[in-house]
Amino acid sequence: MRKAHDMSALVSEAGAVGTTAAAAHNLVKVYGKGDTAVRALDGINVAFQAGKFTAIMGPSGSGKSTLMHCLAGLDTVDSGAIHIGQTEITRLNDKDLTKLRRDRVGFVFQAFNLLPTLTAEQNILLGLELAGRKPDKQWFDTIVTVLGLRDRLTHRPTELSGGQQQRVACARALVARPEVIFADEPTGNLDSRSGAEVLDFLRMSVRKLGQTVIMVTHDPVAASYADRVVLLADGRLAGEIHQPTTESVVNALAHLGA
Amino acid sequence: MWKTILAGLRARTARLVLSSIAIALGVAFVTGTLVLGDAVGEQTRDNFARSARNVDAAVHLAENSTEQEKGIPADFLQKIRATSGVEGADSREFGRAALIGGDGKAKQALVQPLPTTEKLRDFNLKDGRFPTGADEIAVDSKTAQIAKLKVGDTLKLLGEGEAEHSYTIVGSYQQGASSLSMSGSDHLIVSPEGMRTLVPEQRIYEIVAVAKSGVSQQQLVDNITKTIGPGYQVQTGEELTKATLAQVGDAASEIKTFLLAFAAISLIVAGMVIYNTFTILVAQRTKELALLRCVGAERGQVFRSVLAEAVFMGLAASVLGFLGGIGVSAGLQSVISSFGGPSGGESEIRLPISWVTIAAAFGVGVVVTVLSAVLPARRATQVAPVAALRSQPDSSDDVARTGKIRIAVAAVIALLGGAGVYFGLQQQREEPALFITGGATMVLLLAVLLLGPLYVPLVNRLFGKALRGVPAKLASANAGRNPKRTAATTAALMIGVTIVAMVTVVAGSGRETMIKKVDERFPSDYAVSSSVYDQPLTQKFADELAKVRNVALVAPELRAFGESTKLEYADVTGYPSEALGSLVRPPLSEGTITGLKDGEIVMRDKEAQKAGVGVGSTVPISGKDFKVVGLIKDNSYGTGIVTLASAQSILKEPAKGYQNLLVKLAPGTDIAQARTDLERVIATSPVAVLNSAAETKAELNGQIDQILLFIWALVGLALIIALFGIANTLTLSVLERTRESALLRALGLTRGQLRQMLVVESILMALIGAVVGVLLGAGFGWLLVEAISNPEFQISFSIPFGQIGAMLGLAVVAAIIAAALPARRAARNSVVAGMAEA
Ligand SMILES: Nc1ncnc2c1ncn2[C@@H]1O[C@H](COP(=O)(O)OP(=O)(O)OP(=O)(O)O)[C@@H](O)[C@H]1O
Ligand SMILES: [Mg+2]
Repeated sequence: MRKAHDMSALVSEAGAVGTTAAAAHNLVKVYGKGDTAVRALDGINVAFQAGKFTAIMGPSGSGKSTLMHCLAGLDTVDSGAIHIGQTEITRLNDKDLTKLRRDRVGFVFQAFNLLPTLTAEQNILLGLELAGRKPDKQWFDTIVTVLGLRDRLTHRPTELSGGQQQRVACARALVARPEVIFADEPTGNLDSRSGAEVLDFLRMSVRKLGQTVIMVTHDPVAASYADRVVLLADGRLAGEIHQPTTESVVNALAHLGA
Repeated sequence: MWKTILAGLRARTARLVLSSIAIALGVAFVTGTLVLGDAVGEQTRDNFARSARNVDAAVHLAENSTEQEKGIPADFLQKIRATSGVEGADSREFGRAALIGGDGKAKQALVQPLPTTEKLRDFNLKDGRFPTGADEIAVDSKTAQIAKLKVGDTLKLLGEGEAEHSYTIVGSYQQGASSLSMSGSDHLIVSPEGMRTLVPEQRIYEIVAVAKSGVSQQQLVDNITKTIGPGYQVQTGEELTKATLAQVGDAASEIKTFLLAFAAISLIVAGMVIYNTFTILVAQRTKELALLRCVGAERGQVFRSVLAEAVFMGLAASVLGFLGGIGVSAGLQSVISSFGGPSGGESEIRLPISWVTIAAAFGVGVVVTVLSAVLPARRATQVAPVAALRSQPDSSDDVARTGKIRIAVAAVIALLGGAGVYFGLQQQREEPALFITGGATMVLLLAVLLLGPLYVPLVNRLFGKALRGVPAKLASANAGRNPKRTAATTAALMIGVTIVAMVTVVAGSGRETMIKKVDERFPSDYAVSSSVYDQPLTQKFADELAKVRNVALVAPELRAFGESTKLEYADVTGYPSEALGSLVRPPLSEGTITGLKDGEIVMRDKEAQKAGVGVGSTVPISGKDFKVVGLIKDNSYGTGIVTLASAQSILKEPAKGYQNLLVKLAPGTDIAQARTDLERVIATSPVAVLNSAAETKAELNGQIDQILLFIWALVGLALIIALFGIANTLTLSVLERTRESALLRALGLTRGQLRQMLVVESILMALIGAVVGVLLGAGFGWLLVEAISNPEFQISFSIPFGQIGAMLGLAVVAAIIAAALPARRAARNSVVAGMAEA
């Protein structure tokens, strides 16, 4: 019988620290054709360690969202390969990609994360239900308690604040214990206090639970929660910062010209 | 501002296309209904008043004219043709001649000359052409079928003085219900010269004329009256049509009222489909308008742009819908005629387009569109722009709860409807009962529709409970997210299904009524008569006939000439008592004929008047006193009707046989088969001939069925439109929920599951509409049946479970089809693109 507070043990099976959770090799993504073609990703090589919190940063239009969508199997690539764990997802068909998203990947988007027809609880459990998996009651309780959603479970999204909605989205991503959680500007719509709540929780889930999180952000403060920052410019890797602080991130961005 | 409007039009193509489709569908429905309705009207007129077709003025002898024996003077035709305003005129006349059939027996036939004015031909050519030479002839298609004659054959007629005339058959034609075809006799057309040689001295009783264009029917009537002087009845074509239709019964006017009711329903359904579509667009629209206001547009400017756009779209879509509606009604008619009535596929496609149709179509298209677009726009411009920008589709303030006012209004309407139903049920006569109850049920339907947002979510939850699997559960949640919208979407279908269920009952009973009327006119299926006057049909022959398969009853008719101190003539017609009231059923002005006993008489009213007797008194005939028990108008029975035994007792010596034998077939007998069977017995008698009342009856019934098919087509149209409404709502929902769908896909919903979700949502909506509609329709149908039924005219209420099951099945299939496109669209959308959608 597992104990509710023994959380690291629960998550460690999702991804051992030190191995690669997600990786891109020579990734190219082109939008449009001919004159108007945009190379959103221009031969990117990058690997994300399991059990780490990585932030992706870069000027607007540098290809952050595109990279994240491709990594998460939401979008197709023009060339190159992507691995989630041992699986080369660039070889999968739509059906298998859908399964991969359902079973092995979690998302938190900038906004509109929840289905308006479902309550917070139903939203949290939606992914598991789609996969036909039984939710782990203890794990669910733990997440809900930690995220402070206990008395909000029966509410619909329209009855929740922006921060609460993002926390519900985080809970949904975590409850399935995916190999990787992708978050695209999860705090972009939030005030600094609500933003801090969400970021704290993401960091906690990485540090204490061994979860792997990859997050896109524009906010140097948000980036400072991460273990590592990957910098993008014009669809290419433009450097990285380990153990970032707000200042080091601001400095690096200034050098990129953003 | 125009630039913004045009840019807006271009940017929101998908939504514009969908709302235009909704408008076009609505307009098509109204157009289709009205065109089909007018077509039914035309068809009815053509079938039952073809003799009045194209007639602008008709001349008859005045009712009390002393010239009855002479008819209309022959030179009148020339006079009328020469009257100003007359384009053409012809006499309607027919003479008698004996048609020599293939078996060599002579048979009475009516011969009419071909009208010289093409418009005045009250028959349609079926094969070949009309006769031009004096030795050419055209045969009624029914006559041709029975006598086994075809174009190219030679035909012999015995004219006046047994003179034999030979003709070549050059064509066959079909006559509408007229005194000629309703007589049940065989009939033929010859050229005018042919007519003169066959029947040199034919009296004329009717002249019909067509007006030159620009001359009104009344003007023409006035001119002709001036030409021919007094003593004649001159009617307008309209009056003649009415009089002719009245002869067939008021079935035609019932149909007209029914069609009007249906047109009103079509307007409501169309308005609903359009309004619903726009309501869905409001949320998105509100944001756009708010944005415009935020960047500095004035309230008036925004408002005008919305108005201009709505008028433009309404007009454009109405044109499409109008043409579509005409196309649809043409299509439905060709489908109908391919099914065909028993009378065969001679029906043509009719597309009458009246100003009412045009006005109604464009009225609905433009007015409803403008109202549906402008009212929400007004609301949108009244709130602060920023507030409008923030609003989210289906958020709690968007989904207004079912208001108390709505419930109160619905309750009042329901009370009114209930009172109407109660009042309708009290009516004794069929027609007012039908219309009052029918109207009241429509009022009840309105109340039920108003309460839709209240019970639709409940029904949805009930159905949702039965569903398994995530996609199905999501679908149920989606169907329940906006009760008003779901209610409005299902309402169109609900109306359609309710009407279908009701029409099943009403049309069924309407058919009964009309067939009953035809039956009254032709109580017997066949009459067998002797072609030679002094060789009557024997009792033995009558017994043989009675043994023929499917013959239910053979009633001999015996004419007996007696004398009376009170009457000039005393010729009575005798029938067996059991045939009276069934096989012999003259309309009674007083008393009863059923169960007539020996020694009783049902007298012709004029004779009774002359003799100064009435019901209850007695009249002496050949030394016997007959008790008068009833009065009839009909003069075809002589002084009156008595029992067979009474007639025999009047005769001085026992009758050798009968002049006529009336034959009744068992219900549902195939008449072609029956004719072959009867002909075998008839061939054993050298004098017996079989007339064709059964075929005439079958033809009339076929025409009634044809009209009913039109009504079914209308109902089908309503259902199609309702289902398009569901498809449209669903497509819009899919557009509106692009991000949600993308999110679900991102979370691991497969394409198949997404499609499944939308299909289930569509089925749910269709089932809600269909189930509620079936319940309402069955209930209303029961009320109508109760209202129409009276001791004389019973129709039994039965729920056609098979049909209803088929209808529900059809609704599910149609819902799947309706969901197909939107589901495909939703599933094809890429996840990333969907998430990026604003
Ligand atoms: N669907 C698309 N069609 C065409 N071009 C696109 C599309 N999506 C993105 N792009 C282009 O690809 C490039 C990278 O876009 P991406 O959304 O990845 O940028 P980003 O780094 O996420 O920017 P931001 O910080 O503003 O969100 C941009 O130049 C953008 O214009
Ligand atoms: Mg981005």
